[in-house]
Amino acid sequence: MDLDDELRRLFSDDRLDVHTTPDATDAVVRGAARRRRRRSAMTTAFAVVVLIGSGAALTQLPRSDDTAGDLLPTSTSSASATTTTTTVSTFTSTAIVTVDPPPSSNGSSTAKTESGQPIKTTTPAIAAPPQPQAQQGQFGSLKLGMSEADALATGSLIEPSSAADPENRCKAYATKSVPDANAVIISPARGIVRITVPSYAKTPKGITVGSTVDQVKAAYQNATQSGSTLFAKMAATPAWSYVFETDGSSVTAVLMRLDANDCSTV
Amino acid sequence: MAVTAVLRLELTADSGGGRAETVGDFAEFVRMSMPGLLRYGHALTGNPHDAADLVQSVLEKVGSRWVSVQRKGDDPLAYVRRAMANTHISIWRRRRRENLVADLPDSGVVAPELSRLENEPLWQALRSLPPRQRAVVVLRYYENLSEAEIANALGISCGTVKSQSSKAMASLRTRLGKD
Repeated sequence: MDLDDELRRLFSDDRLDVHTTPDATDAVVRGAARRRRRRSAMTTAFAVVVLIGSGAALTQLPRSDDTAGDLLPTSTSSASATTTTTTVSTFTSTAIVTVDPPPSSNGSSTAKTESGQPIKTTTPAIAAPPQPQAQQGQFGSLKLGMSEADALATGSLIEPSSAADPENRCKAYATKSVPDANAVIISPARGIVRITVPSYAKTPKGITVGSTVDQVKAAYQNATQSGSTLFAKMAATPAWSYVFETDGSSVTAVLMRLDANDCSTV
Repeated sequence: MAVTAVLRLELTADSGGGRAETVGDFAEFVRMSMPGLLRYGHALTGNPHDAADLVQSVLEKVGSRWVSVQRKGDDPLAYVRRAMANTHISIWRRRRRENLVADLPDSGVVAPELSRLENEPLWQALRSLPPRQRAVVVLRYYENLSEAEIANALGISCGTVKSQSSKAMASLRTRLGKD
């Protein structure tokens, strides 16, 4: 038997065909757009407004079901599936102090979340220097900058990982609370560079999947926008930002991303 | 509300023009190349599910930087194939503990979608190859690449291609000889 011929015959076999669903192309195009938005540059962050009062952790609350079934593939996860510690944020946002409000931000005091929780209304009072909010880049047991070994030791990651970039430098993991294969991205040099927050979680400022763009801008007045994605820089070491992906009007995903991230596709 | 209106306008302006063209171009590329890439992925991974996952994740990554991929001037299809081979090899490294048993138990139900090539001794023998050897075989006999092209695609030396290739062929012969 000639093995070369056998191999050529096998590889030209019709049974090698894989049938696709008609929406496969759309799924890929959507996925690519999602990845591009996540990676979008956030080079022009500048703060206009100070938010006083911030918490050290995200508060996980069961999502309200009016946002279920939307764009995030993670929307089927439930609060009980997570092993991360539920940390109740120990502060109440007290005041949002506006300094030189941008021309379009005058509506912030009227914003309300869909679940009826009022965003703390603004009380223009003290002029403080603009600066990002202080908050550590941590979700549950996972921290931005954490090494792969430490991250695996928390038990929150689901193995195996997949390659996060075509160069095979960075790795992507699903987590117990976010089944998406790219829930956590780990760089060999920088550790965890990105964490996707479960769709039921809220930031300390009350932003979650389903919040409106206006609500994000009201809560994070230093937020900058690139395309349909908003970035809110946090003052912490290492420096990181919230990345709010939107469909143009409401948030579809909340990510925490290390500013000094070195994975090409993140 | 006025604020919303302003935001919408910005977003519309931002997503128009060149971006839309790029997306349309990428979608066309995906539509055209998908069947071939899935076949290639099937040959590479040994099963249609992994092939679909591999194609989807690599195409998404390539699509997210479509403009720069095109600017490089390489054939984007070749770039995608290269990324698929490398991604598959690296995924396998993480999973190999699960796959140590190369021989499938001969009783038990094989899922229908896996069974179309399952009865081919050569297909079974290919399954036993480590992914880099398998990738070399696929690139050589499926893609008809030369040794130098394979070395370039996988980022390994020509010598490694030769040795991986001869190891692969030897173990294929051994396995087929046993049947």
